[in-house]
Amino acid sequence: MSADFIQLLVGGVLLGGIYGLAAFGLSITFGVLNVLNLAHGEFLMLGALLSYGLFAALGINPFVAAVVVIPVFMVLGVGFYVILLKKISDKPPHQLLTASILVTLGASLFIEDVTSYFWDRPVTGISYSLPPLELAGVVISSTRLLILLFIFILAFAMQIYLRRTYVGKSIRAITQSREGAKVVGIPISRISAVAFSIGMALAASAGAFYVTLFTVTPTMGIPLTIKYLCVVVLGGLGSIVGSVLGGLILGVAETMTAYYCGAEWAPTIAFILLILILVVRPEGLFGAKK
Amino acid sequence: MTCFLECKGVSKTFGGIKALTNINLQIERNAITGIIGPNGAGKTTLFNIISGAMTPTEGEVLFMGKVTSRMGPARVCRLGIARTYQLVRPFNSLTAMENVLIGLGFGRSRPPSREDRSMEAMEILRFVGLGGKATHTAEDLTLVEKKHLEIARALATAPDLLLLDEVVSGLNPTEVLRTMDTILQIQARGITVIMIEHILKVVMKLCKKVVVLNYGVQIAEGVPEEVVSDPEVIQAYIGKFEDTGETSHA
Amino acid sequence: MNRRGKRLPFFLIVLCAGILAALPFVGVSYGIVWIFLLAVYFVLALSYDIVGGYMGYMNLGHSTFFGLGAYTAAITLNQGFHLASALVVAVLLTACFAAMVSYPLFRLRGAYFALATFGLISLVEVLTINLRDLTGGSGGISTPPGNHMVTAYYLILVVAGATMALSHFIARSKFGLALFSIREDEEVAQAFGVPTSLYKGLALIISSVPASLAGGIYVWNMTYISPPSVFGLEIALSPIVMAMLGGTGTMAGPLVGAIFITMVQEFLWTKVPYFHLAMYGLVLILLGLFLPGGLVRTRWIKPIVGWMGFGEEIDYFKKSETGKMGETP
Repeated sequence: MSADFIQLLVGGVLLGGIYGLAAFGLSITFGVLNVLNLAHGEFLMLGALLSYGLFAALGINPFVAAVVVIPVFMVLGVGFYVILLKKISDKPPHQLLTASILVTLGASLFIEDVTSYFWDRPVTGISYSLPPLELAGVVISSTRLLILLFIFILAFAMQIYLRRTYVGKSIRAITQSREGAKVVGIPISRISAVAFSIGMALAASAGAFYVTLFTVTPTMGIPLTIKYLCVVVLGGLGSIVGSVLGGLILGVAETMTAYYCGAEWAPTIAFILLILILVVRPEGLFGAKK
Repeated sequence: MTCFLECKGVSKTFGGIKALTNINLQIERNAITGIIGPNGAGKTTLFNIISGAMTPTEGEVLFMGKVTSRMGPARVCRLGIARTYQLVRPFNSLTAMENVLIGLGFGRSRPPSREDRSMEAMEILRFVGLGGKATHTAEDLTLVEKKHLEIARALATAPDLLLLDEVVSGLNPTEVLRTMDTILQIQARGITVIMIEHILKVVMKLCKKVVVLNYGVQIAEGVPEEVVSDPEVIQAYIGKFEDTGETSHA
Repeated sequence: MNRRGKRLPFFLIVLCAGILAALPFVGVSYGIVWIFLLAVYFVLALSYDIVGGYMGYMNLGHSTFFGLGAYTAAITLNQGFHLASALVVAVLLTACFAAMVSYPLFRLRGAYFALATFGLISLVEVLTINLRDLTGGSGGISTPPGNHMVTAYYLILVVAGATMALSHFIARSKFGLALFSIREDEEVAQAFGVPTSLYKGLALIISSVPASLAGGIYVWNMTYISPPSVFGLEIALSPIVMAMLGGTGTMAGPLVGAIFITMVQEFLWTKVPYFHLAMYGLVLILLGLFLPGGLVRTRWIKPIVGWMGFGEEIDYFKKSETGKMGETP
C-alpha cells in the first residue's frame, strides 16, 4: 500500500466521519418527527461558515469552534422547529409528507439563496495545522486524526446521551412509538424541539470540521442532503451504526473516485452507491428486512 | 379430498421474536372458524401469512391444494382470499363506491366488464348496508360504516375465503348484532369465513370451530363450548391478569 | 360529474383553444413567447402530477425527463434528422430511462423517494457535462438555426392539450383508480390485487412522455440549451411548485398554478432581480404550512372549479367537510 493510498484512506475516513456525524443528526430528527429534513445539508454549510467566520475574525481554532457552534445551532434548531415544523407535525402521514417536503425544501432554497447573496465566494479550508505524525513510515496529518477523534467522541457522547438521560430516552421512545410516548406523558413537542436542535447542532458541528479540509460553497446544501440520504439508505433506515458505517463507505468511495477518476465524477458516486444498494439490498447494510 | 385451507407447520420469526410456532390448521369449507387468544398471540400475523402479506419463516400455506405461502398478496387475492383489517384501512379519500371498485376491478381473477362494474359495486354496497353512502368519502364514514366498507371491498373480490380481523371490536351491541347477521349471510353465499375475535359471545354464536393461540402457539382447538372451558385456555387469558410479571406484546 | 356540467368545460376549452390559435395572427409576438414558456411549464406540471399527485410519489426529479428529452432531440437534430424523428427518439430514450430507474427508485417511499429523485437530476446533469464529446459539455449544445417560434407555439399547445386529455382519461380510468389507491395505502392496494410495482413503473414512464416531448420542442425552438437551463433548479422546481400551489392530485390544479406563478413571475420577478430562489422557497414554506392542498381546494376557488366540471379528485386533503360530490362512473 503506497503512502498516497493511506493518505487517501485517511481522508476518506475523515470525510466519511463527517458525513456520518451529520447523517446521525438527520436520522434522529427523522425518527422523532417522521420528517426527512431536506434542509439538513444547509446546516452543515452554515456551521462551516460560522466556524470559518470565527477563525477569520477572532482566530478561534476549529476544534473550539466546533464546540461553540453547538449551542448556537441548538437555539437555531429550536427556532426552526417552532416556526416551520411544529405546525405540521401531527398531520396524517400523506399530508405530512407533502407539507414537510414543501416546508423543508422551501427552507433549503431560502437559506441557500440568502446565504449566496451575502457570501459569494467559496470558502476554502482553514489552514490550521499541528505537526504531522509519522506512523509506520507514513506521514499523516495529525490535524486529521484529531478531528477524527473529536468526531468519535461526539458520536460516543451522543450515544450515551440517548441511552442515559431522560431527554435521550424520550427521544428514543418517540421514535419507537409516538402514540405510546404520548400515553406515557412525554411532552412530544418539547422533546421534538430538543431532538431537532441536536440534529442541527451535529450537522453544524460536522460543518465546522468540514471547512478545515474542504471547500464550502453556499449551494452545497442540497447535494449534501442527497449524500446524507445515500448514507442513511446504505446503512439501513433506522440504524445509527449503519449511518456511521454508511458515512465511512461513502467518504472513502468519494475520495477514491475523485482521485482515480477525476474530481468531476465524485458527486455521482453517492447516487450510484444509492442505486446499487437499492437494487442489491434495499434494506441497507444494517436495516431490518420486512 | 384436499382440505380447503391448510397451514402446515407455519412459523414466523421477526428478528429475535418468534411470533408463530408450528401452526397446523385445517379449515373446513363454508364453515365459520374462529381464532381467539390474548393480545400479542400472533393472530393477525397468521392472517398476514394466510393472505400472502407476509411469508412464513417455516412451513407452508395451502389453499385449495395450491401452495400460496410465497405468492404475494395480489396473487393470493385473485386466487380467492380477501381480508379486513383490525384497525380499519379504507382508501380514505376515495368514495365508498371507489373503494369497492378497487376490489372489483383488481381482486378478481376475471374482472367484470365496464358496464357491469357500477351495478355490481352498488349491489355489494347495498348488501352491507351502505347503499346510500356510495358517493361519500371513506374518511367521512362512521367506524361501523368503515368496517362494513372493508367487508364490501373484500366481498368485491369474489373471495372463496374471507378473513375478518376483529370486525366487531369497537361496535355497540346493535351494530354487533347487525354485523353478525351480515356474516351469516356471507356464509349463506358459500363463502368460508375465518374470524379473529375477542368478544366470546360472537365466537360462541357464529363459529363451528375455534382455534386458540397463545404466544404464537396453538394451545387448543375444537367446538366453542369445549374450548372455552379448557383449563389451559382459561389459564392463558386469566393468567395474564394474575401474573404481574407478564407483559403482553401489542 | 353530471352530464350538464360536461358541456360547459368543453365549450370553455374550445373557446380558449380558439383564442390561443388565433394569437399569432394578431401579431402579439411577445405574448407568443410568453405563452410558449407557460405551456412548457404547464406540460411539466401536469405530467409531474400523474406520479406526484395521483399516485402520491413526489418525483422531484421530473425535469430529468425534460432535460434528457431536450438533449436527445438536440443530438438527433444535429445528425440531420427532422423534428418528428428527433421527438420520437427523445420520447423513446427517455421512456427507457424512466423504466430503468423506476426499478431501484420505487424501492424508496415518501421523502426518501422525493430526495432520491431530486438527486437523479444532478446525476444526469453531471453525466451530461462529463460526456463532452456527445453533448458539448458545460458549454451547451446548439441545434440547426431557424425561426420556428410559431410552429413550436402550436406544437406545444397541441402537446399541452394532449397532456390534459391524458391526465383526464387517466383520472377516470381503472388505471387511475389504481394509482389513487396506491397513494392512499399501497400495502392495502396490493392486498386487493393491484399490481403496484408494475403500475408504479408504468405511471413513471407515462409521465415521462409529455416531459420529454416538451424538452424536444423546447430545444428545437430555442436552438441552444446548456445543462443549467434544462437541469437547473428553476426548471426542476417551477412545475412542481405550480402543481402544488394550484392543487396536487387534481386536473385543474396544475393549470391554476401555472397561470398564477407565471403571472407572479412576470410582475414581481422582473422587478426584483435577486432572491428568486429565496422567494420560491418562501412560497413553498407558506404552501406547506397553510395550504398543502393548493389553491384549488380553498373556499374561493373550489366552487368555481367544481362548477366548471373539473371537480373530481379534489377531496384528497379535505378537512372533513361533506360537500356535494359528483357521481362516480
